[in-house]
Amino acid sequence: MKFFKGLDRGYLDNLLRASLIGAHLVASTFIGLTVGYFLDKWLQTGPWLTMIFLFFGIAGGFTNMFREVKRIERGEKESAENRKR
Amino acid sequence: MSVQIAPHVVLLEKFMHTVGLVEEGHILIPNHVLYTWLVMLILIALAWVATRNVTLVPKGVQNFWEIVIGGLEEFTVSTMGENGRTVFPLLMTLFIFILFANFIGLMPGGVAPTANLNTNAAMAIVVFIFYNLVGLKMHGAKYVKQFVGPVPWLAPLILPIEILSHLARPLSLTVRLFGNIFGEELVLILFFALLPVLATLPMYFLYSLVDTIQAFIFFMLSMIYLKLAFEEAH
Repeated sequence: MKFFKGLDRGYLDNLLRASLIGAHLVASTFIGLTVGYFLDKWLQTGPWLTMIFLFFGIAGGFTNMFREVKRIERGEKESAENRKR
Repeated sequence: MSVQIAPHVVLLEKFMHTVGLVEEGHILIPNHVLYTWLVMLILIALAWVATRNVTLVPKGVQNFWEIVIGGLEEFTVSTMGENGRTVFPLLMTLFIFILFANFIGLMPGGVAPTANLNTNAAMAIVVFIFYNLVGLKMHGAKYVKQFVGPVPWLAPLILPIEILSHLARPLSLTVRLFGNIFGEELVLILFFALLPVLATLPMYFLYSLVDTIQAFIFFMLSMIYLKLAFEEAH
């Protein structure tokens, strides 16, 4: 199909991954909070698991962000090398 | 007030009232399920018409399907490699279903099934389970390596982080599609209340674009997740 061939695949891939970062950051924070909250409710362990899992959730979002940035950087280097040739 | 003059008169709901599947003024089958069935009927009918007499030189409906499916399959394989061909049916089904479901919402009187969290969550959970199963089948027990990271002594810290991060994927898939389509429906209702027909007309151009892009984003993200599941642990 012409529409899909016309698009630069690397560009489209990067665009989607970049747009994913924000949603993922929020979503993983909330997932961490929810998991911690219900574990606390189940195990009767006060606020501790909520706090720990909230931290894990936030860390998960940021890990994902760093990974994506690394990947985009690597792709950029590759395309720069391709341009030199 | 605005609900009564909204374009969302809900044609199928009227139909349910005449058929009699009603209890105390409420229909027994929720609206988004009714419209999901409508989308299914449309897709099945289109597929039936296309495959009724398949010719070598495609024309009509068959031509349409061949362009869409052929183009997207090529795209998938060029992104994922030959592995993509095995999972392509699921991705394509999701894409076409979401595309048609979104456009049903643009039809006057229609409600997009994707403007409901339940429909989206069902699809996102299917994708979530599917890519984990595919990863397990491909790598066996080594699939766990993707979750523990490269450094062994950091594994207890990385494992919960990775699991939460994986759980966040279906949530973000669900909420993005829901937010976009639900917002779109709401804006259409409000604009129709302001100035019937004339005000909604320009929005249709914008939203037909948004609908296509959202369907494509769901397709692309499912593809990226599957691709990550296929990859070796890094």
